[in-house]
Amino acid sequence: MVINKGILEIRNLSKSFVVDNNPLQVLKNINLTFPSGTFISIIGSSGCGKTTLLRIMLGLETNYEGDALLDGERIEGPGINRGIVFQDHRLLPWLTVGENVAFGLDGKNRKEKKLIVDEHLKLVGLNGFESAYPAQLSGGMAQRVAIARALANKPELLLLDEPLGALDALTRMHMQKELERLWILEKITMIMVTHDVDEAIYLSDKVIIMSSRPGIIKKIIDIPLPRPRDRAGSDFMQIKAEILKEFHLGTEYPFAYAI
Amino acid sequence: MNINEKIKVKIVGIIFPLLLLILWQYVVSAGYVSHHILPLPGSIILKFVRLITHEKFLLHIAVSLRRVFYGFFIGTLSGFLFGLLIGLSRTSEKIFGPFFHTVRQVPLIGWIPLIVMWFGMNEFPRILIVAIGAFYPTTMNTFAGVRSVPTQYVELASVYGFNKIKLIRRIILPSALPSIVTGFTLSLGMSWVLLVAAELLIETNVGLGKLIDVGRETFNMELVTVGIITAGLLGFIMTKIVERLASGTQKGRVSDQKK
Repeated sequence: MVINKGILEIRNLSKSFVVDNNPLQVLKNINLTFPSGTFISIIGSSGCGKTTLLRIMLGLETNYEGDALLDGERIEGPGINRGIVFQDHRLLPWLTVGENVAFGLDGKNRKEKKLIVDEHLKLVGLNGFESAYPAQLSGGMAQRVAIARALANKPELLLLDEPLGALDALTRMHMQKELERLWILEKITMIMVTHDVDEAIYLSDKVIIMSSRPGIIKKIIDIPLPRPRDRAGSDFMQIKAEILKEFHLGTEYPFAYAI
Repeated sequence: MNINEKIKVKIVGIIFPLLLLILWQYVVSAGYVSHHILPLPGSIILKFVRLITHEKFLLHIAVSLRRVFYGFFIGTLSGFLFGLLIGLSRTSEKIFGPFFHTVRQVPLIGWIPLIVMWFGMNEFPRILIVAIGAFYPTTMNTFAGVRSVPTQYVELASVYGFNKIKLIRRIILPSALPSIVTGFTLSLGMSWVLLVAAELLIETNVGLGKLIDVGRETFNMELVTVGIITAGLLGFIMTKIVERLASGTQKGRVSDQKK
């Protein structure tokens, strides 16, 4: 078995779109390495190109300059070695929970499918819900199913596009613990785009801060804190202050200027 | 709604028809309207009971049902395929759309003289008229259903590397299904309307329209009324059956509408 899977390297990556006949650069000269089995968050203001970056990693945007390499191979299209969880759970309303989890499991027979579905629903704590419909679930439960669906293909890389953005604050913190538990269990590389600085610090080995127009890497911050992390600890707060400073939200700025 | 409330709603809905029936009985039996023009409700029921066991009456119904069945089947099948085509392909919408929307403006009964001149006074034109009536609602609702598939679901399909066929089968058709079924229901109503028109306007020996026509010619108002009521009743029953079948396709989506 190959252990070092899910290594993502991004080299000199740039991406432009044409808007009204003018080229608009959304990503400029991005260089990043995501080692196998790490949890890395990307934060940045809207329009910094983080969603485009994620789409390139997924293989939905193939027309880019530079290289995005997964285990040494250039990403040229979607593949089941990468899973994605969107901000909206994106479960198909006409399928049951079980059928949704099995959505990407083509080529497997019924028995194998059932086994994988059961295993992954159990993993996210939703065993017994396979015949429920998504409309019957709460937001947190639906997002768990979406995570189960993404993990069912045994991806090497799990991409999370603001996965908890639509949840209320308490459910959100609960789901952060869940994500951490799943990450430790599955030992796969996870890359999360988020707006929530606390969430990024709580979960990540590294936080990448991007700035916009064009999207560049502004700073990479290591989070060497032991897990599980204490959200109210002084180390945690110190890192948070450091990140907020990058967004000009640090406390050394008087309010009058910050606004 | 509990059962008591449901019964209450039903009772409230019966009040108006009941009053109408009483008024009807009154104006005829008091001599304001001749019973030759407006037969008494009682005599219509008697006529109906006498006819229902009559072989000839059942034949009229059977022939009419057969015409509706063929017309509905041909019309909805071609409507579904055409709606799917212009829904899936923008090019074919550009090619066929303007023509379709222009021809659609022709009142359906207006086709009858032309069709009779082309095909003569036989079974085919009667079925064709029903088919034309069934064609439009299914076409338009299939088209609308295909066009309103959320782009997020299409994106999900591309994440899993679905090809066009798989995209149609796994995402577009299930997503559009409620709309398509609504089209079928509307088509059925349309078929029934056009059937009676076709039977009245295209000379025939048998069918509910013929029955009504015979009643008119022989000034047998009971027969005319029984014919009309039977046509209404059959239409009602068929619509109920289709609606019942259709509700099965709404599985998992009922509570979507509440949100």
